[in-house]
Amino acid sequence: MGRAEYKVKGGKLIRVHLTIENGKIKHIKITGDFFLHPEEVIEDIEQALKGHSLDEDELNHLIENVLKSKQAISIGVSPRDFARCIMMAGEKNG
Amino acid sequence: MVEKWRLLDTGLNNAFYNMALDEAIAIAKSKSLVPNTIRFFRWKPPAVSIGYFQSMEEEVDIKACDELGIDYVRRRTGGGAVYHDTEGELTYSIIVDQTHRLISEDFQETYQTLCSGLVLGLRKLGVPAEFKPINDIVSHGRKISGNAQTRGMNVVHQHGTILRKVDPALMFRVLKVPSEKIRDKMIKSVEERVTSINNVLGRNVSFRELKDALIEGFEEAFKIDLVTGNTTDFEENMAQKLKTEKYASREWNFRR
Repeated sequence: MGRAEYKVKGGKLIRVHLTIENGKIKHIKITGDFFLHPEEVIEDIEQALKGHSLDEDELNHLIENVLKSKQAISIGVSPRDFARCIMMAGEKNG
Repeated sequence: MVEKWRLLDTGLNNAFYNMALDEAIAIAKSKSLVPNTIRFFRWKPPAVSIGYFQSMEEEVDIKACDELGIDYVRRRTGGGAVYHDTEGELTYSIIVDQTHRLISEDFQETYQTLCSGLVLGLRKLGVPAEFKPINDIVSHGRKISGNAQTRGMNVVHQHGTILRKVDPALMFRVLKVPSEKIRDKMIKSVEERVTSINNVLGRNVSFRELKDALIEGFEEAFKIDLVTGNTTDFEENMAQKLKTEKYASREWNFRR
């Protein structure tokens, strides 16, 4: 189980808990004091991340695409911030 | 003619009803059953509310809450964990149509606009308050109010807390600290970063006085008349249902 915490400067906090299997994300939970509208999209993001390998640019792109397809926006954190925190958790898992 | 909004003062209630009624008002508003509304409320027993995306176990010392008789509830809005002391803070909600002139597509702008009613109200009270992005109001650089917004069903719902007096030591008995070693440090840091109306004014401000100032602030900033009203049967029934099925449920409160 890898976990990491990332405080965005001038923004909000992200926490990621994940497990990795064969280099890919098996389970992931993203928590924190950020804003995401609509809120339920967090579950779409977590679902989309499952099965993906740890590549910051790809994770960033993937999260951006989920937000775009759901017409969602995040406040206080960016897709890049989520991706960074996932990478940090992944490194701790390894 | 000045636009009329409903003013609700629902007094002291528990955390689960408080959060359920907010959502019930938003649902009633989405069905055009009620006017745009500003609500004041307080928490009895005291409670911790956490943001939509937070983990209850990570944020809240559940054992300490149970021992102290403090409730814990997940909000429908994002943002951080808040300790709602019965005497220490006042909570408000704004429930307004998304098409209203005060609402922008831009969340940041809307926070600033809706918080302007609180800022003006606090200034009327003599508290030098200003909005601080993303979602705070500060006085002398210290946080005095935190706010959170959600949108859905063509309704904007913003709620937030206004600190009347603050007790950082108690706050950290109920909120989790990363380790016991840094508890004192965190208490100290909150003492430096957070303030309250009583602190700023150096006197005891009653809830009545605070609410009256905020009512004036909202009316002037929003160019509206606040008309004291009551919750509808629809809202009360919906609140009871949401309380039982959602906000008091373990499934909702521990879902993340």
